[in-house]
Amino acid sequence: MATGGGASSITEPPQRGRSYGQRKRLVPYWLMSPAGVWLLLFLILPMMILVYTSLQSGGLLTGGFRFSWDFSNYTDQIVQYKTQFVRSVFYSITVTFACLLLAYPMTYWIAFYGGRWKSSILLLILLPFFVSFVIRTIQWKFLLGDNGLIFGPLKNIGVLPESFRVLATPFAVIAGITYNFLPFTALPLYVALERIDKRLVEAAKDLYSNRVSAFIHVVWPLSLPGVFAAFLLTFVPATGDYVNASILGGPGTTMIGNIIQEKFLSELNYPEAAALSVVLMIAMLILASIYARILGTEDETLTAAI
Amino acid sequence: MTERDDRPFVDPGRMQEVLRHRLTRRSMMKGAGMGVAGISLASLLAACGGGEGSGGGGANPQEVFAGPPGDKVDFANWPLYIDQTKDNQGNVYYPSLKQFTQSTGIDVNYEAIIQSNEEFFGKIQPQLAAGDDTGWDIIVITNGRQFTVLTANEWVYELDASKRPNFDKNAVSFARDPAYDPGNKYSMAWQSGITGMAYNDKLSEPITKMDDLGNPDKVGKSSVGMLKSDMPDFVMINLGIDPTTSTPEDWKEAAKWIQWQKDQGTVRQYYDQGYVDDFTAGNLAATMAWSGDVLYYALWAGYSNLHFVFPEDGALLWIDNMLVPVAAKNPAGALEVMDWYYDPKIATEVTEWVLYMSPVEGVQDLIVKDADKAMEQGYKGYANKLYQTAKNEYLFPSQEFLDQTSFGRSLETDDEAEEWNNIFLSITQQ
Repeated sequence: MATGGGASSITEPPQRGRSYGQRKRLVPYWLMSPAGVWLLLFLILPMMILVYTSLQSGGLLTGGFRFSWDFSNYTDQIVQYKTQFVRSVFYSITVTFACLLLAYPMTYWIAFYGGRWKSSILLLILLPFFVSFVIRTIQWKFLLGDNGLIFGPLKNIGVLPESFRVLATPFAVIAGITYNFLPFTALPLYVALERIDKRLVEAAKDLYSNRVSAFIHVVWPLSLPGVFAAFLLTFVPATGDYVNASILGGPGTTMIGNIIQEKFLSELNYPEAAALSVVLMIAMLILASIYARILGTEDETLTAAI
Repeated sequence: MTERDDRPFVDPGRMQEVLRHRLTRRSMMKGAGMGVAGISLASLLAACGGGEGSGGGGANPQEVFAGPPGDKVDFANWPLYIDQTKDNQGNVYYPSLKQFTQSTGIDVNYEAIIQSNEEFFGKIQPQLAAGDDTGWDIIVITNGRQFTVLTANEWVYELDASKRPNFDKNAVSFARDPAYDPGNKYSMAWQSGITGMAYNDKLSEPITKMDDLGNPDKVGKSSVGMLKSDMPDFVMINLGIDPTTSTPEDWKEAAKWIQWQKDQGTVRQYYDQGYVDDFTAGNLAATMAWSGDVLYYALWAGYSNLHFVFPEDGALLWIDNMLVPVAAKNPAGALEVMDWYYDPKIATEVTEWVLYMSPVEGVQDLIVKDADKAMEQGYKGYANKLYQTAKNEYLFPSQEFLDQTSFGRSLETDDEAEEWNNIFLSITQQ
């Protein structure tokens, strides 16, 4: 990294200030170092430990885990839990699209028509998320209970059949994650939409475009970077979520996050849990980069075209 | 105990209800989000360490527990698992521990931080493996896999059997010489309970046997809660298999039943905890249940529609045990605290509050006495609740009753644990 500057400052006797040029060259490195140390300590190092752990074998009852290049942790897990992997990705994609569908009109309205209330309305969206998301998820359980606040009265007046329920279904899990990840979608969308120069829309109208085609040809392409970011920020963490499935789900809604959590905390099988985490991480990386390839370039060309 | 006799009898029933926001010891909602973040780094580092720690290495108990006790004991226990009340300033305190401090001069730092055996074990395992102090002088762990690991690795001190006179005098039969810890070499019971079934009579027909949990005509569809960790043992007992000596063949038998029940479509969720919230909210018609949870709601909180059921073919017995981790700073003080709770008067204070099975003789009579006293002073409602508590067979089980219960399987090796997990988790994790 800072080979020139860093080394010389130690070996050379203290000088009365280095030349201006020398110092100037060092500045970027100094500015970079807090982030670098941070990444090293809290990203690279844990990641290495994770990979190291994932290749261990043994068990807590027989003297702990030992490093042994145990790749079967990977192969066995992938085979055994492919259903949950696929289910997680499916849930997560559904969630991401649901979030986009909900957040886009909302943030569009705020960005274009919010006026001086913009930040207040944005705060209103974020307000519920000041509370721990575990607690918020548990609240949904009260609201959506089979005979709870909403369905109890509806069942009493006969609108819903007695056996109707939402909890412990895939729908409940998907809806729960959607609710919990909405801000991750809304904020990047808002930033992108807010940046759009409103005069461009006026210009489109001047050129005899109607509202719909102005949106399709001007606003939508300009907001694509936001959509792109929102998709990633929602999709990636939603895939690993386990709180919603464990609180709102039932049999048949187990996600890969639940498996990892269970392996870590209940089975105390750290290597297998670590292996699954690595697989999930790599899978997300691959999916995200494929996505970036496809949409990233298109985005640029579109932006360039306009 | 003067403290106890002076205890203001100011509407104690209401005091109980106010203090006991009853999530209960086991159904306490584990902050699902907090667990993993807190534990993962420690566990990973632990896993790196290899964990071949020397542990106590058979330290001589007479030496470990010799000498005068230190002036502070750190006690880790489960939430809502000890008597508590408020002083005039509104500060919550634990009367039984306060009396201990008054009588011995030893301070006790009591923290209700254990929310699951696995999670707590994961937290302290790195220190134990390295032979370091965990910070706790007493920990409370249920009989089972973690308990076995702790004792087998000698990560807990062997207790000095000559220094627990109350225990020798007052321990009930099930707390003495348990199969998982012969001669109470390492452990003394804190409280105990039964895993049975319960139903809500507004939503379910009365149930009597385990098969009813898979019968949609009785309990309806998607309306039964199952307790993930206790389910294999519970099912084996009800199939007539003794879990403690069970083989993988037996486990597969149990798995068959679990699969059958799942195919019947009655299961709503496989719970770690939190089933009680769903049960009281009316989301579950019937459920596997821990005795104290249901007893609290049925006896003390006015949920007369909830009933605890001891299944016809038997139920699972578990015991939560006090242990002294190796390298604890104050083992002598810890043992004094542990023995203190085998004084029947002290044990009664705990039982009246937590409503689990006490490991101490004489508690039942003392509860009746307290009820009489409350009656005399005109607290009729409170007295009646105490009378019912004293009568309850799930709190004070007869020997025939206990004969129909069994401990769960304690997995002895990693291969066993893995096979067990493969058999059972492949059904519940789908």
